[in-house]
Amino acid sequence: MRDLLTELTQAAAARCDYADARYVRSRSESIATRNGEVDEVERHESEGVGVRVRRGGGWGFAATRELTRTGLEVALLRALEVAEAQPGSPATPLAPEPPAHGRYDSPCERDPFEVSIEDKLAVLLAADDGMRGDARVAVTRAHHLAFAEDSVFASTEGALCEQFIVDCGGGIAATAVAGGETQVRSHPASFRGDVARAGYEHFAELALAEHAPRVAEEALALLTAPACPSGRTTLLLDGGQLALQVHESVGHATELDRVLGSEASYAGTSFLSPGDLDDRRYGSPRMHVTADATVAGGLGTFGWDDEGVAARRVDLVREGVLRGFLSSRESAAGIGLERSGGCMRASGFDRQPVVRMTNVNLEPGEAGSLADLVADTDRGVLMETNRSWSIDSRRLHFQFATEAAWEIEGGERRRLLRNPSYAGVTPEFWAGLDAVCSADEWRLWGVINCGKGEPGQTMRVSHGTAPARFRDVQVGVA
Amino acid sequence: MPESPLDLAARALAAVRSGDGAQATVTTERSVLLRFARSRPTQATAIDDRSVELTVVCDGHAAGATTNRTDEEGLAACARAAERAAEATARTRAYADGSPGPHPGFPAPAPLRGHAGHDAETALLDPGRGGTALEAALAAGAAHGVEAHGVWTAAETETAIASTSGVAVADRLTDAFMKVTAFAPSGRSGYAAAAATDSKALDPHSLAERAAAKACFGGPTAEAPHLEPGAYPVVLEPLAVGELVGWLGLLALNGLAFAEGASALEGRLGARVAAPQVNLSDSPRYPGTLPRAFDLDGVPKAPLPLIQDGVADRLVHDRRSAALAGGGAESTGHALAPGGSPHGPAATNLVLAGGAAADERELCRPIERGVYVTRLWYTNPVRPKETLLTGVTRDGTFLIEDGEVTRPLADLRFTDRVLGVLERAQELSARPVLTSEGEFYGRRFATGVVCPAMRVRSLRFTG
Repeated sequence: MRDLLTELTQAAAARCDYADARYVRSRSESIATRNGEVDEVERHESEGVGVRVRRGGGWGFAATRELTRTGLEVALLRALEVAEAQPGSPATPLAPEPPAHGRYDSPCERDPFEVSIEDKLAVLLAADDGMRGDARVAVTRAHHLAFAEDSVFASTEGALCEQFIVDCGGGIAATAVAGGETQVRSHPASFRGDVARAGYEHFAELALAEHAPRVAEEALALLTAPACPSGRTTLLLDGGQLALQVHESVGHATELDRVLGSEASYAGTSFLSPGDLDDRRYGSPRMHVTADATVAGGLGTFGWDDEGVAARRVDLVREGVLRGFLSSRESAAGIGLERSGGCMRASGFDRQPVVRMTNVNLEPGEAGSLADLVADTDRGVLMETNRSWSIDSRRLHFQFATEAAWEIEGGERRRLLRNPSYAGVTPEFWAGLDAVCSADEWRLWGVINCGKGEPGQTMRVSHGTAPARFRDVQVGVA
Repeated sequence: MPESPLDLAARALAAVRSGDGAQATVTTERSVLLRFARSRPTQATAIDDRSVELTVVCDGHAAGATTNRTDEEGLAACARAAERAAEATARTRAYADGSPGPHPGFPAPAPLRGHAGHDAETALLDPGRGGTALEAALAAGAAHGVEAHGVWTAAETETAIASTSGVAVADRLTDAFMKVTAFAPSGRSGYAAAAATDSKALDPHSLAERAAAKACFGGPTAEAPHLEPGAYPVVLEPLAVGELVGWLGLLALNGLAFAEGASALEGRLGARVAAPQVNLSDSPRYPGTLPRAFDLDGVPKAPLPLIQDGVADRLVHDRRSAALAGGGAESTGHALAPGGSPHGPAATNLVLAGGAAADERELCRPIERGVYVTRLWYTNPVRPKETLLTGVTRDGTFLIEDGEVTRPLADLRFTDRVLGVLERAQELSARPVLTSEGEFYGRRFATGVVCPAMRVRSLRFTG
């Protein structure tokens, strides 16, 4: 494949301003149980090549599963054809980047595709069984997920690199129903759990069966818990919910293609502008956010992005001030940056890369453990595990709901509260950040359903967070 | 002569050597999509892919494997993977009494009704047609002094199913979609979109004109003030209505959710759940819809009344949810995946019947002070069993005063129950139109809701 892609890009060099080609073989496995039965055992595999060409200011892209010299040449011709079909536009520069060479393999102690289905089902069924017993628990679910991707990248600038990545994880959820009330509780995260760039060892460490009884008990307790009151108060977020808060209100907002308007018709724009760099206050001085494609275990960790830019760690927000964007070679050059942020990613061989999050992390603070943070809070609400999310197209006005919350009074965690929710405006909310737990509480959370691009792409990204505290937040909004 | 999807499905099925039954599902996508932003082209994408999914049942336990390698070696590897998975599942979950697992078996063949959802010219996927569409939209945008953003896309998708129960069916569909988002110098935006099975039905100039008119309503530099949160009468354009009705389908009309006690219609079938003028069905061959002949179990699609004169009537089922529901429930042809999706069945051709109002303007007339909504964005369920959603308005939110749209508003967040909105529906426009986003979250499975505009007594805006 290396030779085929090299030949292809050499052939393309004389016919366009720039071209690259990616071979991608993707594998995934989804195994799930539901109410004690096997609900899903599915394996998916696809492979093909995507050819991307640049003519003037526009990109053309064609994908094929015909992995022959002829098949790739046809794809190149099609990419040139669709590029030329577009109305003419002036050429724009790409930020320079040394051609990528070499190989990257993500850390993986145990290949999840080599673990037997029986072993995985045994873990899931044990966890599923652990959540059942009370008739009010109407639905129990347990999930195992695994992904692997082999890729080769070549470009007309002489890049030629290979990567192999493995992701694995899972989770459990119990849904309790009584009367008109329905409550759900999950571990370690909602929407099929938590996934990391790691092997089966990550799934094993989730200890799903151990957490199953607690998950069911909390789902049942939520049925009769008092509703989260409405008003402005101090809000503590667990790491999982905070990860989605970072994702929606920092990650997407700092995507430079959105900032520049390239995604306005679908994903939306941003409240940020290029002129805000190094000037705009995003949040309190305790807010430090990085985009780090080098951190171990992150779903946005790789050797090179999908246009051959080496993995980087860059500041997005430092001491509450905007310091960077998530960028590509084109968008970086568009605002005069010397280098791309290395954030171009595609969801498979048949999609062209777009600016994506890597691992957008809220760096740890010095507030100790979550218990310390609760003890340091006189009055407020602790919310845990995302249940619902929504934010406007400029990433300003958001509303989240979580599965559970606890009232905090006098530095102690008190009553469980049902149907918690909160809303805010991004810079105001982050200005209220006054404490982030310490490094011992910091961990990566996988988000496996991030949608963007047309045709649509679903990307896996991670967010490193530790529990944090926000002052004067509107809660109980739904 | 390239191999037909149905021939490939038969060849894939023949690769299965063990198990008690199997189904081969072939899906083919050929598509072209041209994007534009800030009044210039940005990305053009052409896709040509075909995948085979093999579902194998062993002792009543099903498992599946998918590949896009369609040579003999690729199909054999896919078959072995599905067989091993089904056997492993059966071994792990064998019942002490020897009874089979829960898979209801593959359906028997049934007669299909054809449809007119394939247009040969659209299937040519001529990118030149897309380029011409972009030129027209960009020119119209320039004439109005707005920035134009959007996509033009066309596709031909084919689905073929062959099973050991004798099903051997194939369906072809073309779809075309264009949207234009216009940004005025004020930063305000307007939106217009159209979808059809025939790319010639798209009018790029008209779409750009409509989007520009919304962005510039009240003047290209007019500010859009904020409205205080509260409940206001609203007129929802078809795009907004389609968004709400689509969520109702997923949350409440879903037979699996109902069987598991998670549907808002639990205990309410046969009861009034919406205003009397609300008539909702799933109608796979309704004029203007993106038609489908069968679902991904190969079960034929047929019109299904869901809400009649405001009364909840039926739910959608796949074979899996029907088996779980019991009581004689049968598949209604709404499987989203072979054997049924873990998320349950879903309506793919929702049609909300039109009402008596001539158009949106007439719908506005009785409103003293209210809100006009073009479309909704980032809607997500807050409490699914209540059909409680939150989301924001986008690309054209206006104030209605004394029966007329008078000035632009800043986008608003709503948090309300879909069934509540339908209960408070007062009037519908006469002509339903197809609303669609052209695809289905990355998978070219074009669906849409055919619906009219709607006046609602109140919608709860929360921010």
